[in-house]
Amino acid sequence: MGVTVLQPYPLPEGKSGAHIIDHLAKRLLSLGATHAGQFLVDCETFISTPQHGTPARAVHVLHNSEYPASTFSIIDNGNGKQVALVADSIFDLLMLKMTSTFTSKKQTKIESRGARFEYGDFVIKLGSVTMMEHFKGILIEIEYRPCVTLSYCWEMIREMLQGFLGINVAKEYPTYFTTQTIMNAMGQQQLHAKQNDIYEPMDTVKQYLEHFTNYRKHVQIHGAMGGGASSVGTVGGGGPGGVLLPSSVGMGGRS
Amino acid sequence: MDKLNLTLTAVKNLRANVRQCFEHLADGTDGEGVDESRNKFVYDFQDRFGAINSQLREVEQLINGLQVPPTAYHLGNTTFLAQETSQDRQALYPQLVNSYKWIDKVHDHSFLAFNNLNQNTLRRSYNYCSQKRQRLPFSSFNNDPDHIEKLLSEINHPPHTFYKVFRPFGSNAVAMVTISNVLKAAIVFKGVLIEWVTIKGYDEQLDHEDLWAESRYEVFRKVQEHAHSAMLHFFSPTLPDLAVKSYVTWLNSHIKLFLEPCKRCSKYIANGLPPTWRDLRTLEPFHEECRNS
Repeated sequence: MGVTVLQPYPLPEGKSGAHIIDHLAKRLLSLGATHAGQFLVDCETFISTPQHGTPARAVHVLHNSEYPASTFSIIDNGNGKQVALVADSIFDLLMLKMTSTFTSKKQTKIESRGARFEYGDFVIKLGSVTMMEHFKGILIEIEYRPCVTLSYCWEMIREMLQGFLGINVAKEYPTYFTTQTIMNAMGQQQLHAKQNDIYEPMDTVKQYLEHFTNYRKHVQIHGAMGGGASSVGTVGGGGPGGVLLPSSVGMGGRS
Repeated sequence: MDKLNLTLTAVKNLRANVRQCFEHLADGTDGEGVDESRNKFVYDFQDRFGAINSQLREVEQLINGLQVPPTAYHLGNTTFLAQETSQDRQALYPQLVNSYKWIDKVHDHSFLAFNNLNQNTLRRSYNYCSQKRQRLPFSSFNNDPDHIEKLLSEINHPPHTFYKVFRPFGSNAVAMVTISNVLKAAIVFKGVLIEWVTIKGYDEQLDHEDLWAESRYEVFRKVQEHAHSAMLHFFSPTLPDLAVKSYVTWLNSHIKLFLEPCKRCSKYIANGLPPTWRDLRTLEPFHEECRNS
């Protein structure tokens, strides 16, 4: 288990997602990476039926093919407070029994699937995000397995990402790691920099949820604005930089 | 030649007779029938003495009959026995001096060779060490069990490094080193000599039941390779304490294994690996491919 970072890949106009993924896969293979199976991360959201004026709560149930025996669930009370739970895969059946209190929002079922590559100790997943069979974008997952804290290996991961994606990745830690709030001993929420913590599989799942939520929001904006394809590149804090030519950013250390 | 042979035989006979005569005298009488035996003894002696006299005369006659040989006899190597032995004529002295110089040189050269071979620190076999042990006043193996504990506690380690010493193999210690959240290492000691090093990831199991299993991550397998070569580099049977201290200092430099780019190419990743090599003196990070070029 190592540090995982998610990086949305901005879709250049006029190119299909499958084409881009194909292109990135070819680039990885020529770098020396090996194809190592497929992966799937899915997310289903249940909304509680409001009772006696309590606000509706959402339960996100996620599966990650990297941890096939587990079901991850995150309860979101709507004002930023999240409770995370890792359970056996039988948790899904439990959710089915709770239809009286939690109803599934089938139309927001979202997933990211694609090919999985290994390069040295890196695991790189080229995921295409789909919601209700509609293609939403490309989400790259990169994991550096030997390292357990982001602050140690962020520069390595960044160099790797810039190398094979050919885009500029911001020098700052990804927003997930810098904007976490935790409960302190006094029961107050405070900002906690997560980049020095030991990474856990739950962090990967939370990052996926963050990005999935962004994609869902984008749909709503998209629907409201009646077509905003140009804003795709800014989804998920992908960094201010535009698309660089791949040849201008060499793969680190390969020279 | 015949005459000479006859004479030599005669001399031999004379000697034998004289010897028998003296043996007879030494034996004396047997002590019974005093007069009879005494008379017999005297007669016997007279007989033998007469025989000696006649043989002596014979020898004298034969010697007088010998002629001086006209030429020297060919006697093989024995001829040299009677030759001139003056030092000046034999020319022995210069040869002696030469061989003395030669032995001196051999001694010098072998001394230098011995010193040079001693510096070859890559030899760690039992023989080598046990030979050293006889010569040196200290012993690398039979150390006070508390010594290694004291040694490790004396090492100035950064606050992020933790040591745990335990002894699963009797008196020999194993030190478990945890360097920040980066890696774990098991250093197996034999006395104060480092015998083996295993490097594993922070999230991997490293228990004392299995100190020899390799890490599942490529980067730590590579670091272990480098750690072994460094172990040989720092190996010094004469100053074992210093060797351990410098080795541990070197190992501690891995705290920034993923944090520092290669000093040479200023990149983080080469062939999917971070700079795994740390320079033995400066502790600077290098990729394996970059360190020698």
